[in-house]
Amino acid sequence: MVQAVAPAMIDDTSIERSPGYWSTVWRRFRRDPVAMIALGVILLLILIAILAPYITPHDPYRGATLRRLRPPGTPGHWLGTDELGRDMLSRLIYGARLSLFMGVTPVFFALFIGSAIGITAGYVGGWVNTILMRTIDIIFAFPSVLLAIALSGAMGAGIVNGLISLTIVFIPPIARIAESVTTSVRNLDYVEAARASGAGGLSIVRKHVLGNVLGPIFVYGMSLIAVSMILASGLSFLGLGVRPPEPEWGLMLNTLRTALYTQPMLCALPGIMIFITSISFNLLTDGLRSAMDIKA
Amino acid sequence: MASDTAIAAAAAPSAAQTAGEPSRALLEAVELVKHFPIKSGVFGRANAVVRAVDGVNFSLYPGETLGIVGESGCGKSTTARVLMNLIKADSGNVLLNGRAPGTPELSLKEFRSQVQMVFQDSYASLNPRLTVEDSIAYGPTVHGLGGGEAVRRARRLLDRVGLDPRRFAGRYPHELSGGQRQRVNIARALALEPKVIILDEAVSALDKSVEAQVLNLLLDLKDEIGLTYIFISHDLEVVRFIANRVMVMYLGRVAEIGPTDALYTGGRHPYTTALLGSMLSMNPDERTMEAPLAGDPPNPIDPPSGCRFHTRCAMAESVCSAKTPALTVSGAGHLAACHMVDPTSGHSKAAA
Repeated sequence: MVQAVAPAMIDDTSIERSPGYWSTVWRRFRRDPVAMIALGVILLLILIAILAPYITPHDPYRGATLRRLRPPGTPGHWLGTDELGRDMLSRLIYGARLSLFMGVTPVFFALFIGSAIGITAGYVGGWVNTILMRTIDIIFAFPSVLLAIALSGAMGAGIVNGLISLTIVFIPPIARIAESVTTSVRNLDYVEAARASGAGGLSIVRKHVLGNVLGPIFVYGMSLIAVSMILASGLSFLGLGVRPPEPEWGLMLNTLRTALYTQPMLCALPGIMIFITSISFNLLTDGLRSAMDIKA
Repeated sequence: MASDTAIAAAAAPSAAQTAGEPSRALLEAVELVKHFPIKSGVFGRANAVVRAVDGVNFSLYPGETLGIVGESGCGKSTTARVLMNLIKADSGNVLLNGRAPGTPELSLKEFRSQVQMVFQDSYASLNPRLTVEDSIAYGPTVHGLGGGEAVRRARRLLDRVGLDPRRFAGRYPHELSGGQRQRVNIARALALEPKVIILDEAVSALDKSVEAQVLNLLLDLKDEIGLTYIFISHDLEVVRFIANRVMVMYLGRVAEIGPTDALYTGGRHPYTTALLGSMLSMNPDERTMEAPLAGDPPNPIDPPSGCRFHTRCAMAESVCSAKTPALTVSGAGHLAACHMVDPTSGHSKAAA
């Protein structure tokens, strides 16, 4: 039993501190091999994207009509060449840049806007909730692929328009999750106790609500990155997102489809990259979600 | 469970105040009404209301402990939340020292620093992402105390409620036991230096030995700081142990209110008698063989006319369903809402 001392004499160093929530989450996450591998793959992809100019064996834009559609394993072109004779490996490496960018950016912006809408609706409740969430429902009623295509089509092809349309597509699901998490938190006793201590709404949201809702919202957002990549690839495939000759996995899938019967392995390569990346994000999300599910 | 000496000890500090009731009320509830609409349909029209609190009057005197008892759904907790202004009353007033919160004389914020609350669920009432000291220090910082000073106050209070600050200040709620968490909640309530603390089933979820420790802590704090408690519980023994006065609620109304001993030994309202009859006796010869009261309480959406208890009352007569009984004085500081207490009611057993 520790001897009683005058509390005034207690300085910060003598206080035993427990590891915080996020360090506990990280400790649990580290014990999940699948999630750790997924994290490793994603970090590797990010590294590759950053170092692209230094690790690519060829210029991803320069082709040669004499070396078109070489199969994977060709000397000098490990992964073959595409329909214009450009080095596939180099293009896939550069493609990681655009594809990751197209996957992460819309989710990032949608997280900001969607959580702001959802948390406001959830915390304030009442008619504010009704107006915000019913508006969100209207957008949500469109199938996401269709909405992304329609918006991109209306605004015209291009990376920026693609990003904007994808952001709009992801705001409703994020706002919904944010709203439901916030609604459940705001009815908990500790929020009630904070109100009982005389705190105003903004202070309560900042100190008591955000810390408890941002985690789940963020995890949900992570799971959307894979969807965003696939949708962005789809837009590129339809000629609405990234435009040739930029290397982007979805677009590469599109342009290589003419060679589907002659070089099926070659055509599958960008698809394999999309698959690996999106499944890694999904597995990472799953791992994070279970690591965050700490029961008392 | 509670020995007679303990009851006497609990009653002693404020016996002088409760006996004659000359002192001014610290907190008053005047005709409090809270109905919850039941919404349905597309436009959310209210087509029925739950009469959770339906005209509740009582006064709380400085230094006393007022126990509120009643079965589940009788409006105990809603009364507490309306008192705290956590939910707005439909009508009626809460007065602190004669002033209503939310008016220029007494801001809601000021009111809330004077009246604090401890909730039943010790875990749900602490933010899982905040350390214990941060949870306690939050209230004072809201009221303008600097962060460092607030944390120092939090550590002093932890020490005061029997938790070593060095071991507990930096912990998270899930690392604490139920009793420890409830001590933290008490410290949090104390952090604003309130006059009144509303304890809403604050010890009900604790196991018996821990419950006794927390009750003793509450009694010590009351004596030292001069607190006034509203103690809501369904545990009649605990209320008898801690309360000076007891208020019995039934279906959103006050059935009876009076000094603890008078009420426990001579309840005037048949509901009080039935409720107390459900208490377990220490003497095996006084074993209760049949339920003192049959059936469930009526639906608060459509409460019975007149006296709300008449559907389950053995003494009910025609006057009981026709006329609502008013709270009538039946002894020193003892009021009961029963026609049998009111000589003018026309009930055949009415006191002459």
